[in-house]
Amino acid sequence: MSIKEPTFDIDIPARRPGIHPLALLSKVSEGRYWAYFLILPSLILVALVILYPVLHGINLSFQELRLTRPQNNGFIGLEHYRELLLEDKVFRIALWNTAIYVGGGVIAQFIVGLVAALALNKGGIVMKAASVVVLLPWILPSVVAGNIWALMLDARLGVLNDIFVNLGLLPQYKAWFADPATALPATMVISLWRGFPFFTLLMLAGLQAIDDDLYEAAAVDGANRWQQFWAITLPMLRPVIVATVVLRVIGLVNAPDLVLLLTNGGPGYATQLISLYAVQNAFTDFDFGYAGAISVVTFVILMIFTALYVRITRASQE
Amino acid sequence: MSKHTSDQLWSLLAYVVIIVIMIFSLGPIVWTVLTSLKPEADIVTSELQYLPQRITFDNYVAIWNRSGYQRLISNSAVVTFLTLTICMLIGTLAAYGFSRYQFRGRNQILMVYLIIRMFPVVLMIVPLWIIMRSVGLLNTHFGLALAYTTFLLPLCIWMMKGFFDAIPPELEDAARIDGCTRLSALFRVVLPLARGGLVATAVFIGISAWNEYLFALMFTNSQNTQTWPVGLALMVGEFQLPWGALSAGGVISIVPVIILFGIVQQALVRGLTAGAVKG
Repeated sequence: MSIKEPTFDIDIPARRPGIHPLALLSKVSEGRYWAYFLILPSLILVALVILYPVLHGINLSFQELRLTRPQNNGFIGLEHYRELLLEDKVFRIALWNTAIYVGGGVIAQFIVGLVAALALNKGGIVMKAASVVVLLPWILPSVVAGNIWALMLDARLGVLNDIFVNLGLLPQYKAWFADPATALPATMVISLWRGFPFFTLLMLAGLQAIDDDLYEAAAVDGANRWQQFWAITLPMLRPVIVATVVLRVIGLVNAPDLVLLLTNGGPGYATQLISLYAVQNAFTDFDFGYAGAISVVTFVILMIFTALYVRITRASQE
Repeated sequence: MSKHTSDQLWSLLAYVVIIVIMIFSLGPIVWTVLTSLKPEADIVTSELQYLPQRITFDNYVAIWNRSGYQRLISNSAVVTFLTLTICMLIGTLAAYGFSRYQFRGRNQILMVYLIIRMFPVVLMIVPLWIIMRSVGLLNTHFGLALAYTTFLLPLCIWMMKGFFDAIPPELEDAARIDGCTRLSALFRVVLPLARGGLVATAVFIGISAWNEYLFALMFTNSQNTQTWPVGLALMVGEFQLPWGALSAGGVISIVPVIILFGIVQQALVRGLTAGAVKG
């Protein structure tokens, strides 16, 4: 159809000469390709900024690509993977730290998040106001969260040090991020502070969707609150719990922000995580190929975890 | 123990629990605000001051007038605006398409948009950095905004789809019987009804872009494009920024976030829940 051809569509007033762009769009909206037209821009953008780069990144992991030593660049097959999985001691430490950071982190965040959601679910104006306060840390930027806690745990000025000393829990102020034994746990506390509201948010929504009749029926049958929690609340929350745990694991594995800001992996390798290790390889050493291999391994681990986790939770449900 | 006293005990327990958790959540934020109001001399004393004995706004003046700080804020505002424009325009259309129409590949594409969230950040940052450098988008506002769409567009689509799903299609059918085209039904019926969802999604996308640190650190390298999280982090490292000014800088940057979040919190919760739980 040429642009100058007159149209007699009922939606377009005849007084308009030619085809107005909006009128053309209206016409497209009546055609059979309307749905594709709606999603096409997103498909193009996702292909350009996500799928193409990711394929490019996977390809990089089979290449030697260092900006600092361009003469060696080229295809090297699985060499990076061999080095990473068989020889790299730092990667092994980072993998172990990540397991603790993510595993311990998710469990702690889940428990605190669930307890908060159960309390908030009581309802009422007080609890509504409280829910805004409880959710606040979740929307704060990592930079501010890092600064806040760095100040509170500071070895000279930290208010938490002062409180602990006054309560007799500590003999003197402590440099939490300088001691390899406390650096990772301290980081995990900050991660808990920022992360538990996510669980609260989604589980609160899950709790509100549970029918009150179920509890009344259980009460009539003589079940106490503890029994009701195990027999009704937890099973009903199950889909929400599965979804939030998966999302949170993915989020924690992929986010090097906090350690990047607070410790850069130190002291020694005490807070080295695989996400941070990949960032350091990419943007400190400019070893793009190796960073690519670390990312691909991370992705594979996440896929395997998600598949297993969903399968296990599904099996135990049946 | 009678049922009545038992209920009261549980109620009491809920309030005690929530007060403890609120102290945990709010304590660090309150401490930052208190620190930002103290003169530097009172922050670095040997005897810790819990409440500021002298209140001053010098820290706010100092950080605001610091060279480059206002530029950081305006850079962040521009990048946030661009990210919002791209995500909301493209994301809203796509979400509406997914919500209303069945077509070949629909479920597969939705699944891909979900799996994308599993991609490690570095897997995307490195190649994206190489690509943007070769097309000249590195160190530009638009380039950074485009990089943000990698994780915000799929999220935006899933959230908005949840809001559109909640609007009965019968309303559009009625409008179409009255002679509306699909396009005008979208603009006259659906979008006005989804207004709350649109605002909540926009606020969430905006906050995420405003707060983002890692991409901004890698994709900007000069004062002309650096955003405030990067600038603030660099000030700490390079200039040994005093704690008072640092706290004030943090407070200035999170005030808009907290206000917006407070306003749209309820709608936001609904949208996130719809997207995340179904996913």
